[in-house]
Amino acid sequence: MRFSLNFIKELFPIEMPPQELVQVLTMAGMEVEHYEQAGDDWIFDIEVTTNRYDWLSLVGIAGEIAACTHKKFNLPHVELIKKPLIRDRKIVIENISDCPFYIARIVRDVKVSDSSAGLAQKVAHCGINSISNAVDITNYCMLKWGNPLHAFDLDKIEGNVYIRRAKTGEKFIGIDEKERVLSGENLVIADDRKAIALAGVIGGKNTEVDKNTKNIFLEAAIFSPVVVRRSRRAVGLDTDSSYRFERMVHPDCLECASQEASDLIGQLCAGAFSGYQQAGKKPLVKRQAVRIDIAHMNRYLGEEFSPVKLKNILANLGFSTTKESAGNISLLAPALRLDIKREVDVYEEFSRIYGYNNIKTKIPFLISPEKRVLKTGPLGRFYAFKNELRVFIASLGLKEIITYSLESGEELLRLGEKDPLPLSNPMRSQENVLRPSLLPGMIKAMRHNLNRSQTKLRFFETANIYQRADNGFREAGALSLAASGSHEDFFYLKRATQEIFIFLNRPQLEFKEAELNNFTNALQVYADGKPAGFLGKLDEKIRKEFDLKENLYFAQFDLNTLLDLRRDKTYKPFSPYPAVWRDISILAQNKIKFSGVEKAVKGVGRELCSYKVVDIYRGKNIPPDCAAFTLRVFYQAADRTLTSEEVDSSHQLLRDTLSKINGITLR
Amino acid sequence: MDNDIKNLEARFNEDIKNAVTAQDIEFLRVRYLGRKSSLNDLFAGIVSLNKEEKARAGRNLNILKQKITSCLDEKLKGSQSSEEKFDLTFPASSGDKGSLHILSRVNQEICAIFERLGFDIIEGAEIEDEWHNFTALNFPGDHPSRDAFDTFYLNIPPVDPEKGKHLLRCHTSPSQIRVMEENKPPLAVISPGRVYRPDEVDATHSFMFHQIEGFAVDREINFSHLKGVLFYFAREFFSGDARLRFRPHFFPFTEPSAEVDVSCFKCSGNVRGEKKCSVCKGKGWLEILGCGMIHPHVLEFCGIDSSKYQGFAFGMGVERPAMLKYGIDDIRLFTENDVKFLEQF
Repeated sequence: MRFSLNFIKELFPIEMPPQELVQVLTMAGMEVEHYEQAGDDWIFDIEVTTNRYDWLSLVGIAGEIAACTHKKFNLPHVELIKKPLIRDRKIVIENISDCPFYIARIVRDVKVSDSSAGLAQKVAHCGINSISNAVDITNYCMLKWGNPLHAFDLDKIEGNVYIRRAKTGEKFIGIDEKERVLSGENLVIADDRKAIALAGVIGGKNTEVDKNTKNIFLEAAIFSPVVVRRSRRAVGLDTDSSYRFERMVHPDCLECASQEASDLIGQLCAGAFSGYQQAGKKPLVKRQAVRIDIAHMNRYLGEEFSPVKLKNILANLGFSTTKESAGNISLLAPALRLDIKREVDVYEEFSRIYGYNNIKTKIPFLISPEKRVLKTGPLGRFYAFKNELRVFIASLGLKEIITYSLESGEELLRLGEKDPLPLSNPMRSQENVLRPSLLPGMIKAMRHNLNRSQTKLRFFETANIYQRADNGFREAGALSLAASGSHEDFFYLKRATQEIFIFLNRPQLEFKEAELNNFTNALQVYADGKPAGFLGKLDEKIRKEFDLKENLYFAQFDLNTLLDLRRDKTYKPFSPYPAVWRDISILAQNKIKFSGVEKAVKGVGRELCSYKVVDIYRGKNIPPDCAAFTLRVFYQAADRTLTSEEVDSSHQLLRDTLSKINGITLR
Repeated sequence: MDNDIKNLEARFNEDIKNAVTAQDIEFLRVRYLGRKSSLNDLFAGIVSLNKEEKARAGRNLNILKQKITSCLDEKLKGSQSSEEKFDLTFPASSGDKGSLHILSRVNQEICAIFERLGFDIIEGAEIEDEWHNFTALNFPGDHPSRDAFDTFYLNIPPVDPEKGKHLLRCHTSPSQIRVMEENKPPLAVISPGRVYRPDEVDATHSFMFHQIEGFAVDREINFSHLKGVLFYFAREFFSGDARLRFRPHFFPFTEPSAEVDVSCFKCSGNVRGEKKCSVCKGKGWLEILGCGMIHPHVLEFCGIDSSKYQGFAFGMGVERPAMLKYGIDDIRLFTENDVKFLEQF
């Protein structure tokens, strides 16, 4: 809301320099976003929070300035004239809940011309373009009282005035000269033949006041905030008028605004008031009674306040005290403040004028035994677990990424995801569904970097994924790991997976070969017999379609499963006796899987404590359908140093087992 | 033979004088004591001598061998260095360095500050319903107060029609409702997470960002506690001499409500000369969060007796403090995941 300080000064004297006033108002909650000097005037632009409809009027702002400068403001008095009545036209309200109250005044024999410089400047300094004296007067009164008014050219109104819902398909041209097709969502002002205004939003071109206008029909009304909101949304319009109606207008101000506008049109446009009419019923506004308990207020705000200071501040704000007894004060809310309803509202009013920054600063004691339930519950543990896991995965050498939860449905379809959860109001087709997997985000992050000459990338992400479920949907935490590069990077990912399960203290994980959507080469990961996730190589077709310059190896796990699997660690003693190793050179046909070798190794006995592949070779001197590799096997006992005879006999057993496998030759 | 031995000894004495480095000494050891050395040849020649000569030559050769050995050992101890020099100016080896995303780091840092004060950390779900995102937070239906909280709705049937349509939460405050519905006070909870609003993406806006919600409810929790907790946070997170400014504001779910500014950690509000501070644009203050005392209606919606219990709540973004603290000038960097960005933190 923009306002002129000179305009305020018509209502209330201000002694404070504007720069200081800006600070004082801002710190009391009326944030001055911008201010500038304009001749002998100052223009302030304030943020109006949705509860303060009264700040959309100069009288409301003057009240606030008064309270902030420790003074009291009294609303100007306006003498209301409601006679003679308009007899030749009826005002008909179709539904009282759309429009509880409607006032019309007729001013005849006016001369519509440009405004005087003073009036034009006044409305201009409040951000409204000067149109003509008659229109400027309605805007001046709207600015002053907060109630939008509308002046119709009386002679263009045919017959009675109706406040009714628009008919579906009814056409309406506003004073902005745009044609809009209306529906039942719109409330209109109409005459016997046509809609003449979109109620509370904009006037109609067909009844606009212009330089030839002789007689004015002046409307002041209360329209339902919800109806105005829906109506202006339906036609995609937001006006000074609808802005105010949506936030509420005060019935007392309404009458003053109507009266003052009619008076001014009489004075400044040389017209004569000729009739008054109203329809509906003026809503009864009672000042809200609130009782406050000073002890409770002190306990709420955290400080003992001086009762004298309290009463002064409340009085300046416009509260009246009706009763005072034993630490309680009964109050009536300020006349214009329909937003004050209960004791906490009074606490806020007092404390913001007292100054939030003057209230003491204390640290509460928040730890109590009852509350520990939360921390040790599943939700409380989840956050800590996720944090630990992230730090651990970073220590493996992967970089954490954060990608969007929203994806393009079309792109997901290319990944075979046919039924993701859709948004009903997406902004763009790129983000119109919730992702059911962390793969699409990972692909994007990889592509971005691969296109910038990066290679061999290692990323991870923890985020939620969203899927349909029997009872609607399921949102669950997931972990993704990925490596870009070639063949061996799959095994990097496999190792990272193993390390994560060692971190969970669940090293006995099982990999089962599987064919998954988008991953022809994949392993399902099982721990404790439960599926925990998968890892695989992204299919070549998808890789090309998504324009990835390297192969992508991707893994995804369910975080809740990982948390369930996690076990506390206890120290496991290890053998102090030396380990001995022996190498076996193996020539294996490609059809032989290493899992066969692994099985043989595991069958040797517990003295065979570990093994690894130290060398893989394909090519020259090796048959084309074979691979040669060296298996290094370690032997160790927990209770003694193994003799070389013992090692030899175990090792011979392994060699014998391996050599019996069809397709394996020992070298 | 006697002469041969003397000559060999003389040659050795000459060579050892010129030996300086450990390498030189090793070279001599091979030359004089190795398998193909003259000494070995002489030993081999003994066989052809007569008995008396054999004994003398053997003795003399052994003496010489010992002499050479001890002389070489002696010299080696005194040699300047036994280590080979190599080129240390070669580049360091490369390897994968893992990292946490800066938003994770900032998020953890903020949560940890509140944890030290006794808050528990509970994450809420991102798919919410109208009840938890709006109604229970005291937003009147179809009211302009919802305008500042534009929201993505989901096109799926509601699981519980009484709770309204499903949506992507536009703030972390629904977590507050969830925790209060399911737990009795005293409560002190921090709830971080992703939130969504239909905003066009530019340098300072995104349709997905992170927030941290915090609240405490007990019999005596008051506004000055709210100030104290946030003050502690600002000093821990921004700087040891940070100041806070509480400006009255409006939120449907708190009363009194405030917006909080922290003194600019770069210029502390000291305007020097004509040049405006690049962080606070010369204002001296940076808006960081919204807060207030939880509105009694909200407590009541969650089944908490507002005549017995009171509490405060606050909510802050994560991107903005992260951008301010680390001088990141474009919010899109967070989700672009460029390695050159990721590896800086």
